[in-house]
Amino acid sequence: MFQRWAKGIHWPLVYSIIGLSVMGVLFTYSASYHDPSQYELKQVLWAGGGLIFLFVIPFLSYRSFLSVSLLLYVVFMVLLVWVLFAGDIRLGAQRWIRVGSLVLQPSEFAKLATVLALAHFLGSVNPWEQNNRSLLLAIALVLLPCFLIMKQPDLGTALLFLPMAVVVLFLWGIRYRYIIFAFIAGLISIPLAWQTLEGYQKKRILVFLNPSLDPLGAGYTALQSRIAVGAGGFWGKGFLHGTQSQLKFVPEHHTDFIFCVIGEEWGFLGALLVLLLYGILFRSIFQVISHTTDIKAKLLAAGIAAILFAQVFINIGMSIGLMPITGLTLPLISYGGSSFLATSIALGLILSIHKERSIF
Amino acid sequence: MRFLILRFLFFIGLATLGVSLFRVQVIKGPYYRSLGEKNRIRLIPLEAPRGRVFDRNGRLMATNRPSYDIVATPEDVTPEVFGYLSNILNLSEQEIRNRMSARREYPFAPAVIEEDVGRTLAFHIEERRPELQGVRIRISSLRHYPYAETASHIIGFIGKISPAEYDKYDGQRDRYGLQSWIGRAGIERIYDMRLRGWRGGRQLEVNAKGELMSVLSERKAEVGEDLSLSIDLEFQTRMMELLKDKHASLMVLDLESEEFVALASTPSFNPNVFVTPGQGKERMEFLRDKNAPLIDRGVSSAYPPGSVFKLVTAIAGLEKGTITPDSHFNCPGYFQLKPGGRKYHCWYKSGHGSLNLYEAIERSCNVYFYNLAKRVTADDIARYARELGLGEALQVEMTNIAPGLVPDSAWKKNKYNEKWYQGETLSFGIGQTYLLTSPIQILRLTATIAKGGKFVEPTLLHNHPEKARSKERVAIREENLKVIRRAMLNVVQSDYGTGQLARVDFEKMAAKTGTAQVPPKTAHSWITGFFPYAKPEIAFVVFVEHGGSGGVVAAGIAKEMLDIWRAMYVPTVG
Repeated sequence: MFQRWAKGIHWPLVYSIIGLSVMGVLFTYSASYHDPSQYELKQVLWAGGGLIFLFVIPFLSYRSFLSVSLLLYVVFMVLLVWVLFAGDIRLGAQRWIRVGSLVLQPSEFAKLATVLALAHFLGSVNPWEQNNRSLLLAIALVLLPCFLIMKQPDLGTALLFLPMAVVVLFLWGIRYRYIIFAFIAGLISIPLAWQTLEGYQKKRILVFLNPSLDPLGAGYTALQSRIAVGAGGFWGKGFLHGTQSQLKFVPEHHTDFIFCVIGEEWGFLGALLVLLLYGILFRSIFQVISHTTDIKAKLLAAGIAAILFAQVFINIGMSIGLMPITGLTLPLISYGGSSFLATSIALGLILSIHKERSIF
Repeated sequence: MRFLILRFLFFIGLATLGVSLFRVQVIKGPYYRSLGEKNRIRLIPLEAPRGRVFDRNGRLMATNRPSYDIVATPEDVTPEVFGYLSNILNLSEQEIRNRMSARREYPFAPAVIEEDVGRTLAFHIEERRPELQGVRIRISSLRHYPYAETASHIIGFIGKISPAEYDKYDGQRDRYGLQSWIGRAGIERIYDMRLRGWRGGRQLEVNAKGELMSVLSERKAEVGEDLSLSIDLEFQTRMMELLKDKHASLMVLDLESEEFVALASTPSFNPNVFVTPGQGKERMEFLRDKNAPLIDRGVSSAYPPGSVFKLVTAIAGLEKGTITPDSHFNCPGYFQLKPGGRKYHCWYKSGHGSLNLYEAIERSCNVYFYNLAKRVTADDIARYARELGLGEALQVEMTNIAPGLVPDSAWKKNKYNEKWYQGETLSFGIGQTYLLTSPIQILRLTATIAKGGKFVEPTLLHNHPEKARSKERVAIREENLKVIRRAMLNVVQSDYGTGQLARVDFEKMAAKTGTAQVPPKTAHSWITGFFPYAKPEIAFVVFVEHGGSGGVVAAGIAKEMLDIWRAMYVPTVG
């Protein structure tokens, strides 16, 4: 019995998830042990809760999630609208909903609901019969949450929907000419859109792309986080011995900038360890994709991989000046309940796809 | 195939991260480590000066002056600094420690010890800098309003940002810093985003002693935009003199451009006390003053308009077809709704006799308007009042704009759960009861009448291209407004007119007076009009709180205003 259960689990994926979660708890502790709020204990609880989801979802089966995906999608769109009017304002943006003593960020779950809905919809349309109507519907499905999240305003999370949509459509089999067309249309519309922006909006976007234009805000953070990571060198300064990240030179060091703490304290070796664990995670997801024959499952897994990958790439990239500064979490490592839960549910779906793969 | 491309791209991405990390951590690691050690990077914010504000002739209404501030980097100071600063600034050592530990924007950012200290002290400290480690003099810019009380309600003032506001603007650090100023009232508040510049900053590399080694990057602060207002400060100064020692408002609007030339309100305040460090006491005096000098009486308060409102009642009667200009009513000095009922008196006890509309407006006969009000409903009058912009906050570049109040039967039902009585309609018709209007609303009403029904949108900006003027008209027939204008001419030019004290000898003027009863206090005094009658150039309103008769007090001020206007703007022939 146990052996049958164990055979259905993709163990390398589980190991990488546990490894990343442990890193997350360790460095949440390192980043905030001066703080009295005991983030690491809360993170242990979140991680424990998340791992339960990881093993429970395969029993529920991803197919049941797909079959209620449109309902989930509608529910989270309503929540996104609601958060705009009634959400808590923190750090100048309206992103949180309070449920009792829990504070949830619906945009984290809206990402997942959107991937589910998109995979469910595209999986039922044969790519050979694709027409403008089904394509437009798919795009609308993605743009609605994208727009609502941008309104919060949370530009970083909103932009995550784009790589997700591109990857899912690409794997589904969108014709190459549409890709080329979309690319050209995008290029043409940029100068037009630029014209309609107000002066200060243009300035904001330029700062987003090039943080050194704003030395007081993003530029300062960019430089300080690069110093923190760089100062770690090859071996790192040792656990709890980081100085840059500890001294609050880098803001949000237990959430968005946790990679700075890892890079500073465990150096290049620690950074490689993180990359290795993510490498195993993505390799496992690709194995799952190639072993399933269910097209909806393939699309779902690819969409999840795209979101996670974009988050990893942008988060680590911004800490070394490769990417603009945005408020994105590092999946499974950053402190934060909503982010961890949403990621574990997503990975639970992947495990479920693996469990229900056709054996041949 | 597509699957393979995708998988390849993912691993290329991870490899890119790995290579970049190798570059930052291993190749450039020693460099970053040296920067990080002893915290050798410091960020010095550069505050942007605010844009200036000019009057229509380029006179400075709001500008900046340099201020010498003593600042200190708490991480660098040595203990003897506290005693020294405490001595020369006459502050306790504890107070200096408190100021050093106040919240700062960045680690190693300087804390402000004392602002605006004066040149002598600044130079003294600068000379002793080698002994005072961590302390330096910073030159910043402070707001200054050269005309002080003259236009304080228009220009408003700015105030220091609050910690809550600072947190709210997280992500806009290039606009709001912990020591930034924010517009709190008037033009300073309305155009805060334009006047506010873009902050800059300097990232410095210092050595272990805190001495400058090199500038890593720098962005200069950008000065905010300048603004030009339509006010003529010289004329405004003269108007403020006219209203001296009164609680009053006087406004003059250029009818062609729809720009304000003067917007005077007394008593007023000196906005400089709100921006000068160490004047907290003077600030509190203005805030506590029973005369409420911070209130613009022309814009932020509403009063009963009294007989000025008869213009609206007349328009309602003409538009509804209830009367024509030649309809006569008899005034025996009082009016009764039914025989033996309550007597509603005319201000002229012996009665005006039989009058047509022109004569009724000219002499401001109450009984005529009682008769008219009885024949229309309160809701009709309210409708035309609203059509002319009463009862709602005017769109203009000012803060705290009073909406006023136009009552009607639905409003009364809602507020008091009572029905509207016909006796109230009579009082409503002569501008009493619950009706409240601000002087700026009355001015707009007059301007709309003077421009033949073109809906006037007054502005404080001079020659502003962005301000697209609407071509909208009020739903009132031009011929009826002509009747009103003609009647207003008689108010001033006829020997029976209530506004004849405002008459000037060089041109014909049209106006309407009002004496609004506010028992048990002295009545409010009103006059509003336009000038010259034949080809109106300006519209004006004069309001004196508890000033007494409109035909005496307000009309007298209006005449003086016109004499000054003529001396300043009408070219003398020969």
